[in-house]
Amino acid sequence: MIAQLVLSTLLAAILLYAWTEYRRSPAVALLTVFVASAGIYFVWMPEHSTWLAELVGIGRGVDLILYIWVCISLIVLLNLHLKLRTQMELITTLARKIAIAEAQPPKT
Amino acid sequence: MDLVLREKVYVVIPAYNEGTVIFRVVGDVKRAGYSVVVIDDGSSDATAEQARAAGATVIKHPFNLGQGAALQTGIDYALTQAADCIVTFDADGQHRVSDISHLTDALVRERVDFALGSRFLGQAPDMPALRRLVLHAATAFTRLTTGLQLTDTHNGLRAMTRRGAAAIKLRQNRMAHASECLAQIAASRLRYVEQPVTIEYSAYSLAKGQHVRDAVHILLDLFARKLHR
Repeated sequence: MIAQLVLSTLLAAILLYAWTEYRRSPAVALLTVFVASAGIYFVWMPEHSTWLAELVGIGRGVDLILYIWVCISLIVLLNLHLKLRTQMELITTLARKIAIAEAQPPKT
Repeated sequence: MDLVLREKVYVVIPAYNEGTVIFRVVGDVKRAGYSVVVIDDGSSDATAEQARAAGATVIKHPFNLGQGAALQTGIDYALTQAADCIVTFDADGQHRVSDISHLTDALVRERVDFALGSRFLGQAPDMPALRRLVLHAATAFTRLTTGLQLTDTHNGLRAMTRRGAAAIKLRQNRMAHASECLAQIAASRLRYVEQPVTIEYSAYSLAKGQHVRDAVHILLDLFARKLHR
């Protein structure tokens, strides 16, 4: 019961995070919501994860969770990549302003 | 007689380590009477000095940002000046200066906001077969994604009016800017026309130009752009 409460709290925090990210990247946010919701479900219904694991041919529920964890890591990586791109756009805007302000006239 | 006053035409030339050719390219454009802006995209050679000596206004990026970023910087700068038309032009000497007035005249004559150069309507002698193949594939892809009916979607020689230029906000810093630019032209609903131009391939421009693997990068960049705002 303690483990379930702790995990649920963590996953709920991830849901909250996904909600705050929605404006910036709806695709990543929706994916995160889906995965975190599934996580909460399986925390409380572990036997269902075994059932689902067998259904997709993985064998054990624990393995299924492990694979899902790998997926979450990949989503996080993707999100970081997108954040870096956003940062790059800000840096570009800044560099452009400076460059234009310091335009050098032709040497005559 | 040109339909646009040449000094009101700002030719934007993005350049990265083009020190060996930029003097000649800028000189040719300048002698034809155009205003020239070179965006030195963080070069480590004498590109900026050479361009200034040849008569260009030079804007220096503090570090390398990519051709797309350099083009947008040039467009932004030209819009702050008294530019009637803005022309984008490659630094490696593959474009012909005489094509510039064909494009700017087309803007006035056809009453459009964009005149886009096409080597497939014009000429491109000495184009390697592989490059032709990749360009045709890129054109098919861009026609599909933007709905624009063009024959050459990756041509660096284009002319636009002030109104057209104001509709362009390139966010793809690297090579995917050509597709992005066309997508923004399509989204702006402004009128465009294609004009034949000549591309002169040289050993230098081929070595500086894009490789086939860049196409993969471009597709990834375009995909990533769809995922965030």
